[in-house]
Amino acid sequence: MSRLEAKKPSFCKSEPLTSERVRATLCVLKGILTSSYGPSGRLKQLHNGLGGYVCTTSQSSALLANLSVTHPILKILTTSMQNHVSCFSDCGLFTAILCCNLIENVQRIGLMPTTIIKLNKHLLSLCTSYLQSEFCGCRILVDFSSTQTLLCLVRSIVTSKPACMLTRQEIDHISALILRAFLLTIPENTKDCLILGKSIIVPLKGQRVTDSTVLPGILLEISEVQLMKILPIKKSDTFKVALFCASLSGDVSDTGEGTVVVSSGVSLENAVLDQLLSLGRQLVSDHIDLLICQKVVHPSLKQFLSMHRMIAIDRVGAALMEPLSKVTGTQPIGSLGSISPSSYGSVKDLCTEKFGFKHFLHLIPNEATICSLLLCNRNDTAWDELKLTCQTALHVLQLTIKEPSVLLGGGCTETHLAAYIRHKICNEPESILQDDGCTQTELQLLTEAFCSALESVAGSLEHDGGEILTDMKYGHFWSAQPESPSVVDWPDLLSRCGCGLYTSQEELHWSFLKSTRHPFAPQTCLPHEAVGSANNLTLDCFTAKLSGLQVAVETANLILDLSYIIEDKN
Amino acid sequence: MAAAGSAKVALRVAEVLETIVSCCVGPEGRQVLCTKPTGEVLISRDGGCLLEALHLEHPIARMMVACVSSHLRKTGDGAKTFIIFLCHLLRGLHAVTDKEQDSLISKNIQTHRRHWKNCCQWKFISQALLKFQTQVLDYIMGHYLSKHFLSIFSLSTKERTLCRSSLELLLEAYFCGRVGRNNQNFISQLMCDYFFKCMACESGYEEVFELVDDYFIELNVGVTGLPVSDSRIIAGLVLHRDFSVYCPADGDIRIVIVTETIQPPFSTSGSEFILNSEAQFRTSQFWIMERTKAIMKHLQSQNVKLLLSSVKQPDLVIYYAGLNGISVVECLSSEEVSLIQRVVGLSPFVLPHTSSRYEICNTALMNFCKPLILRSKRYVHLGLIGTCSFIPHCIVLCAPVQGLVEQHKSALHGAFKMLRQLFKDLDLNYMIQASDQNYASSPLTYKNSRESTPLPEIVNGSRQSPYQGTVVKNKGKLATTQTYLKVYSNFVVPSIELETHIPRSVQKVTPTDTYQADETLRYLSLAKTRIVDDSEPLMESNSANSTTENTRIEISDENLQVTEIAGRGSMLPVREKSLEMCTSHGYCFSSIPAGCVLPVGGNFEFLLHYYLLNYAKKCHQSEETMVSVIIANALLGIPKILYKPKKGNYSFPQIYVRTLHAIQTHQPMVSSQTGLESVASKYQLLTSVLQCLTKILTIDLVINIKRQPQEVYDQDSEEEV
Repeated sequence: MSRLEAKKPSFCKSEPLTSERVRATLCVLKGILTSSYGPSGRLKQLHNGLGGYVCTTSQSSALLANLSVTHPILKILTTSMQNHVSCFSDCGLFTAILCCNLIENVQRIGLMPTTIIKLNKHLLSLCTSYLQSEFCGCRILVDFSSTQTLLCLVRSIVTSKPACMLTRQEIDHISALILRAFLLTIPENTKDCLILGKSIIVPLKGQRVTDSTVLPGILLEISEVQLMKILPIKKSDTFKVALFCASLSGDVSDTGEGTVVVSSGVSLENAVLDQLLSLGRQLVSDHIDLLICQKVVHPSLKQFLSMHRMIAIDRVGAALMEPLSKVTGTQPIGSLGSISPSSYGSVKDLCTEKFGFKHFLHLIPNEATICSLLLCNRNDTAWDELKLTCQTALHVLQLTIKEPSVLLGGGCTETHLAAYIRHKICNEPESILQDDGCTQTELQLLTEAFCSALESVAGSLEHDGGEILTDMKYGHFWSAQPESPSVVDWPDLLSRCGCGLYTSQEELHWSFLKSTRHPFAPQTCLPHEAVGSANNLTLDCFTAKLSGLQVAVETANLILDLSYIIEDKN
Repeated sequence: MAAAGSAKVALRVAEVLETIVSCCVGPEGRQVLCTKPTGEVLISRDGGCLLEALHLEHPIARMMVACVSSHLRKTGDGAKTFIIFLCHLLRGLHAVTDKEQDSLISKNIQTHRRHWKNCCQWKFISQALLKFQTQVLDYIMGHYLSKHFLSIFSLSTKERTLCRSSLELLLEAYFCGRVGRNNQNFISQLMCDYFFKCMACESGYEEVFELVDDYFIELNVGVTGLPVSDSRIIAGLVLHRDFSVYCPADGDIRIVIVTETIQPPFSTSGSEFILNSEAQFRTSQFWIMERTKAIMKHLQSQNVKLLLSSVKQPDLVIYYAGLNGISVVECLSSEEVSLIQRVVGLSPFVLPHTSSRYEICNTALMNFCKPLILRSKRYVHLGLIGTCSFIPHCIVLCAPVQGLVEQHKSALHGAFKMLRQLFKDLDLNYMIQASDQNYASSPLTYKNSRESTPLPEIVNGSRQSPYQGTVVKNKGKLATTQTYLKVYSNFVVPSIELETHIPRSVQKVTPTDTYQADETLRYLSLAKTRIVDDSEPLMESNSANSTTENTRIEISDENLQVTEIAGRGSMLPVREKSLEMCTSHGYCFSSIPAGCVLPVGGNFEFLLHYYLLNYAKKCHQSEETMVSVIIANALLGIPKILYKPKKGNYSFPQIYVRTLHAIQTHQPMVSSQTGLESVASKYQLLTSVLQCLTKILTIDLVINIKRQPQEVYDQDSEEEV
């Protein structure tokens, strides 16, 4: 009997967003995300009820990957954010919170989805064109002649990940290391296009964070037994390296689709081993100092090579092959027979080193864009978080090289942008009203929803119950200590704005972020000297944030546009 | 278990489907989220996709879905309109029959009998529908509607050149129904750009459509996590994999395709390799290595810089390729290989097996070959030089989520399908009823008759020539042809014309006109030979040869002159005119020429509605009138939904009144929306819906069998027992 099973009919639900359950789950998700946002964000401990590994984090990538959501709408939202994070590494929480805020705010005003989507799109294009424009008041061009801006950017990223458990000095140390590692991947002399190298993160858990370091070249981990076998390395100018991707294990390689009949007494293994040993002899006669193999090396060959003072390291894995071929400057060898002399590589120096309880063989290249970032942290979970942070920071630096701008962080971009949009819509609504056929009221309602969504992203940086304010000149974000007495002495209570560009000693007027106020034109065109003097700014990656803004609005539009959900329950 | 009255049930089912589907119709339509059991989340506005995702259980519903999907396979568009139109038709029928029931059926008839009587009535209606579809619809389309058609081709030149602005309007209207509101313009612009970039010459658009439609999956790359506005077109071809080895090269780059491993295998399948000694093993291995080396050297000497392989190559090959400066891409899919072959006109490199000398292998030139990084994933980017009318380009589709990428992909693919359909002629056949009342009595079905005269052409022929004409009737309806002819000879009708009816599926028709004169009968006949590259009908014509002669003899004509306006691709309607006034029926066949469009916003529906109502007024038969009126009213269902969200001057009643007025006074119609839609696809949709409706109406009972489906022969044997 065939096992034909009839498919169950699907489950069809109309107007999904109006259901109470969806609203509640969206609210829970938003709560999780907002509470983790920023330097003072609360940590989340994720653990599986069935056992396994506990993860303490406040990063979107780790959070979203481990949360299992079942509702299709939430699934759309989380996958959208995960896709953003895998593209840009940074600004994941910003995107997710903004998207949740937009959905929540827009739903409250109850306009037609058509109008909402059209207007959202217009407002988004206003934002993106402002952020990319010359006179944008929250964008700083990166000056590559000094590391100041880049260091601020890295420090802001490291600071915003509290689950790394770093002290102030440690943050400074790690930020400097990350920047150094990044600079080592930039080739010295480039032609027309810049090809960046790679920083390999080498784990070293259980050590102090300040023991972390950056080394040019590659660190190959070796066991103590291997170390004993390596005789003291003789000094020379260059070391010749043979890099194999073919297996040197002595197995008989595949024999085709037909059958192979072997007469008794004939041993193929012997034949292959002979071949390997003759290969070894060739290597010795070619004065190779170091043999690295992606796969396994036959013990007899290893023995033979070590007799001839050659270091053999096997099982390095496929991931390291590309950096290794860059460091040694050669293509991996895929043949066991005659090897052309051109396929040998070389390194400048070779030494054994010990970090913590681990032994490494250090390959120092002549000139290569590969470096190793030896990363230490006290325990596993904190190390994982630190590693993610380092990867994020390195990626952000790469993005910044491509697009040399940074945005003001600490919530200032969001409040500034909201002020700009409010002002723009209040003063010149005609451009949007003309080609859309919506009313002025609709536009104003939606602008308010959009801007307050932006502002409440900034507001979620404050977790300790402090007051959140904005000034009426620059439109920056300020937060005050909780339980401040009254609204009299703002300049004394506040010290610096979110990004650290302005101090409260200027003649400023403040207003609560949640309160209604008249639209004002925030000052555009950042003064150059203001940026130069401030040396401890909080900065955000421009590319990631811009794309995050776009993705958040697009995803919110998509979710608001849904009229049915068809769930296949098979 | 039996459920009675399929029409009522069908109406209920269709109404449910309509509510779901109607929210996605038109520029104001919204999205639907479909989840799959695998956890994938799909976003869609595509009617076909939604209906599939519902997994409907009701048999009538399943039949509707089957009809929709078969329609979609043909045209790639119109699933939502299908459901809405069907629903309105059923509603109209329901209203009419309810009325009739009340008046006709007296109450003392038993309910059981009434049921069967109902069924008879349904059958009656379905026959009327079928008649309408085959006769009236084509007539109205060809005769009245055709004067309103616009063309996608620009009219300034004689050559058919595509007009970019009208193509843009067409695509815009198409994407309005397919993708989310905020991306409609962007996607349609992208598609338009893509098409014009790919087209090498003005006339090659058909090939481009065909190629893009066939290889659509290979011609686009989906990237998630980026805003939709980052989507773009890149020149060249992007392969969805990374280089196995990459050697930067510039200048004269040649490529080679292989479909087997370059390294000779130790033993081939079906053979046995006997190893007698270790030395033999070593020498054979050495030979393999040397040979691989030699082949790669040879490739290098041919200036080959890129090796494309459909299989995985061994390490040895990769190593020697790297040494010789040849980049390698492995594991290409068969579609990718055939696409490259088609674009560059390159056949795979066959490895020489015996001799050590190599012939010059097949290579092709290329502009560049480099890695392309999209969202930290590496792809191979090839700057192929196209040899056909297709210049290779790829679309990079970006969206925050995979579901949206998929939606855009399928919408773009559907658009190419739609365009491919649009540029085909669509034949209509109908007959014109002349004013002469004597013969207007019975319209004859003359479908699918085919006449072919495989004769050499004789112009102004006065010689007598052996007559070899054949009259072929498909589906064995030859007998009816004969009776028809006999009927006419009794009536002493002076002129009879046999017409060639071409089935709609036949696309390429090469007309050759043959004039043939028969001295004895003084018979001048027009025969149109149509050479159809369709083997099946031709075979039938052979089998029917024997019956032709007697048919022909009966055809006698006194003084008939044939004026022929031959038109290629029937841009001009081909008409036979008889000088005599008493010609009763003229069978016209015209067609909807390729590239016919109408403005969107229900123009097609309004026009057809208007002409159908006019036609119904002139009709004499009650059921024909009824069917026409029902269809005419059902047509309005679509513009009703389109104009639902509009207020004031653009509300449906206002538009309706204004449009009808415009048609009556022969003014151009006003439309609130810009955009064009294909007439042919609308027409096909209409016929598909009518076919589906007749199918539904002819069912009188739905019998529910609660048993595993079994083989056919099992059922037969059980019935016998």
